[in-house]
Amino acid sequence: MEFIETLISGLSIGSTYAMIALGYTMVYGIAKMLNFAHGDVIMVGGYMIFLTMTALGNPVVGLVAAIIFCTLLGITIEKVAYKPLRGASPLAVLITAIGMSYLLQSMAQMIFGSAPKMVIVADFGNLKLGSLSVPVYTLITLGCSVVIMVILSLFVKYTKVGRAMIAVSEDRGAAQLMGINVNGIITITFAIGSALAAFAGFFMLMKSPSLSNTLGAMPGIKAFTAAVIGGIGSIPGAMVGGILMGVVEAFSLHVPAVAPYTDAIEFIILIVILLVKPTGILGKVRREKV
Amino acid sequence: MAKLGKIKWKHYINYIAIAIVTIVFGAMSFANLLPSSTVYLLEKIAISIILAVSLSMVVGFLGELSLGHAGFMCVGAYLGGKVSCLLEPVFGNGLITLIISILVGGLIAAACGIIIGLPALRLKGDYLAIVTLAFGEIVRSIFMNSGEESFGGSLGLSTPRYDKSVLFIFAFVLVLGCLAVVQNLIRSKHGRAITSIRDNEIAAHATGINVTKYKLSVFTISSLFAGIAGVLYSFSNFRVQSTNFDYNYSIEILVMVVLGGMGSINGSIVAATLITYLDTTLQTVLTGNLAVLQDLFYALILIILVVYNNAPALSAFRATHNLSVFFEKLRKHDPAHRRDDEAKWDRVPTKIEMNEILSVDIQSTSSTVDPDKKEGK
Amino acid sequence: MNTFKKLAAVLMAVAMMVTCFAGCGKTNYTANNTEYVIGVSGPLTGGAAVYGVAVQNSAQIAVDEINAAGGLDGVNFKLVALDDTHDATKVAANYASLLESGMQVSLGTVTTGPGLEFTNLSVEDNVFFLTPSASGDDIPANPNGFQMCFADGNQGKVAAEYVNGLGFDKIGVFYKSDDAYSNGIYKQFKGALNSSIQVVETVFTGEASDFTTQINTLKDCKFIFMPIYYQPASIFMTQAKDTIAKDAVYYGCDGFDGLAGQLDLSTIPQEVSMLSHFDSNATEGAAAEFISKYTAKHGADTLNQFGASAYDCVYAIFEAMKAAKAAGKDINVTMTASDLCEILKEQFTGDFKFSGNTGKDITWEDNGYVSKGAVKYVLKQADK
Repeated sequence: MEFIETLISGLSIGSTYAMIALGYTMVYGIAKMLNFAHGDVIMVGGYMIFLTMTALGNPVVGLVAAIIFCTLLGITIEKVAYKPLRGASPLAVLITAIGMSYLLQSMAQMIFGSAPKMVIVADFGNLKLGSLSVPVYTLITLGCSVVIMVILSLFVKYTKVGRAMIAVSEDRGAAQLMGINVNGIITITFAIGSALAAFAGFFMLMKSPSLSNTLGAMPGIKAFTAAVIGGIGSIPGAMVGGILMGVVEAFSLHVPAVAPYTDAIEFIILIVILLVKPTGILGKVRREKV
Repeated sequence: MAKLGKIKWKHYINYIAIAIVTIVFGAMSFANLLPSSTVYLLEKIAISIILAVSLSMVVGFLGELSLGHAGFMCVGAYLGGKVSCLLEPVFGNGLITLIISILVGGLIAAACGIIIGLPALRLKGDYLAIVTLAFGEIVRSIFMNSGEESFGGSLGLSTPRYDKSVLFIFAFVLVLGCLAVVQNLIRSKHGRAITSIRDNEIAAHATGINVTKYKLSVFTISSLFAGIAGVLYSFSNFRVQSTNFDYNYSIEILVMVVLGGMGSINGSIVAATLITYLDTTLQTVLTGNLAVLQDLFYALILIILVVYNNAPALSAFRATHNLSVFFEKLRKHDPAHRRDDEAKWDRVPTKIEMNEILSVDIQSTSSTVDPDKKEGK
Repeated sequence: MNTFKKLAAVLMAVAMMVTCFAGCGKTNYTANNTEYVIGVSGPLTGGAAVYGVAVQNSAQIAVDEINAAGGLDGVNFKLVALDDTHDATKVAANYASLLESGMQVSLGTVTTGPGLEFTNLSVEDNVFFLTPSASGDDIPANPNGFQMCFADGNQGKVAAEYVNGLGFDKIGVFYKSDDAYSNGIYKQFKGALNSSIQVVETVFTGEASDFTTQINTLKDCKFIFMPIYYQPASIFMTQAKDTIAKDAVYYGCDGFDGLAGQLDLSTIPQEVSMLSHFDSNATEGAAAEFISKYTAKHGADTLNQFGASAYDCVYAIFEAMKAAKAAGKDINVTMTASDLCEILKEQFTGDFKFSGNTGKDITWEDNGYVSKGAVKYVLKQADK
């Protein structure tokens, strides 16, 4: 029983990581940059949910508001900080992304203060099946993530925009020659990535109601690790990597002797996987990239 | 005098500048004129310079992205600190303890560099970046959870603090040593081999350069100096606390390297100095309720500087409005004069860039650089 | 970039710094003071900001009150708070900067990690500090350091004695393994606990916010000791309310205070209690008075025992100075930190008694530890 409970808890942590990792992986696939500010978009989404929850009290409205705001924020960040640097070294973009991350964090503290906010999104209680007791939100998180990921995969495979995304990630120059609006596609990618971040923010608040301006920092790094484990640039890879990270985290926290080393264990797994398969689990060179 | 004229002064100008700084401040320190805030700042600057210059070897010259520099520093700080704790009762808190600790801390960090570098350097670009980041976090976590008797655990390792009126002088001497090693390596034939790996690894390999050997040695030397910086850190604080060596610190060092200009050692030195100065100043000037503005200013300065320095759209503006044009005018010198081991962003893409399709974008920027002019003296 | 530019840049940087500091030298920084300067370094930004901000706000309230009432014989006080983001490497610069801006007496640091650095730095210049909340056992190691909060080790021992008397054969522990406060308490707690009691130990690190796994491990425990701060505790309780037995007890130390401002405790079925020197829900006495002052000005968001303790620290220093002056000691606004330290040390180790919102008739031991009553506060009874 304990095993199953730990497993489910791991799957739910993992699906949140997967949500965030999808944002990393899509942006990386299309724009070839590490968007270090991605974790902080989650935090902004969290504050949006907090604001709408206090004003209207409805979590679904909060989620929608967060999605809209994060999408706009993602587009703005891309236009202001990243677009002027298109064509410059990826490292320069990395640095502006870091700058953006600091900027969002300090602005959040200026607006909302240093005290963490309590946001009780919804109280679903526990689901009891015999001696098995599972918090309902883990199941919701898990279900939503699977649905979102299926939709995303279909979107990328079968819509015109999605195929344009694949084209841009394969060969930006050729895509441009074929009449694809590369700048537009990159903007759409940022929008989708940021909307996913809003979902991730919602899942995180469902799990743990405390909201502060550093909410997205560590999950951001973990999710980035997950994206790399799965093969950065690959959508199914991000899901596999995220779930793997979550399950490892849950089981390692469950054993007191290794619990303090949880972060280290996750990173060791990353190193081992990359040594065995240098492009990540599902990362095939130039294939299945968004 | 004829012989003197042949010396390439520009190769030694940074040694001279740092030596002058050291002598001036050292004299002030002995005359008891330096307030302690300046002394702490100088210690920090020296440590930052060593870190930035050593990381610049890996990122700027070898073209590999490393986000684990703070991890090597952490190894140096803890092991060097431990050695100094053990030696203090025997030799006292003097130069002997300092030198032995620096040797031990630096060498163990270098050994870690080999251990992590051997497998990791097979990876490229962002994959190497995330592995080095992971290494840094693993190291931190191990020291964090160490026993209280071995490395102090969560409270950190209590280490002897070196006499603060002298330590910064010693630190700057180490900066000079670090510069001597790095610059001589970069300017030797090995240096040219290293930059050729950055510019095109396959071509470098084809011309008979032992790529693995060079990558590993650069990585090891870089970790050695990160470890030395760590030992200096342990002597400039009363406690080594693992929380300080997180990935944010690695990123801060990377920011120094990138802002200074890839493949420019002097750029790294200047950027390390200015960023450390800026950090400390913002921290101590913005008191009370204003403290929240620190990160805001820092972030804005960072974004504006990087966009200004790198935006392709601004390249024409940059060519006419920048410091070097300004100084060139003062000096009435050929503006196209460039040092031979210096890489320009838009001209020599790093390897990270080579893997991408971004090369399509080069035509707009490359027209501003005339290859003939690159062959200065 | 070319060499000339670089040289110029380096020289400019040097010139900049030399002009900044020329003439400062090691002079007597307090010579031009027109107010008594109290310095403090704490996390005003970053993950631990809520504690530092509480200290800054509360100390400022106390300083404003003292000044409004005429200060010390007409001379006002001034508080200078610098940000260390809970990072020990920033303390040295803060300390030097405080000293150079004329600091005569200090509240030390807000948190323990940076505090250990501060302890070593301040002893060189002999600066008196009374820390509101840096509870590490080594903080008052030097004669110039005093604490207003209980030291971690003592809290752990007292808590263990309490648990020994309860008669459980199995208890759960939930603590933060990379935190000095949490570790410090737990180590002493474990040492003083009856060896017959089985301990189910769970940990978390960093700014983790998902405790599902730990909660699953602890679900059979009826008593859970949590030597952690209220922020993670509130997350734990929210996540655990359906999994942990309804009649279980969450027992914490002074870090628990502030929970009620963070969390609607009536939604938690379990009992929540703590051993502390201050209760943010107090409805009477000095504590309630402080709470109404604080919430009127800064809201309940950042109200916690850190602030209450800082408020007391400022008053304790003020009253000690007043008492010393009344006893004929020479206290003036331009006196050096070291001279003031000698006077205050004598006061605090003498028969000086202080009553504030974190305790009555507080005295200090010669080693700097505070001696006052700790009360077990039941923040919420278990739902029946």
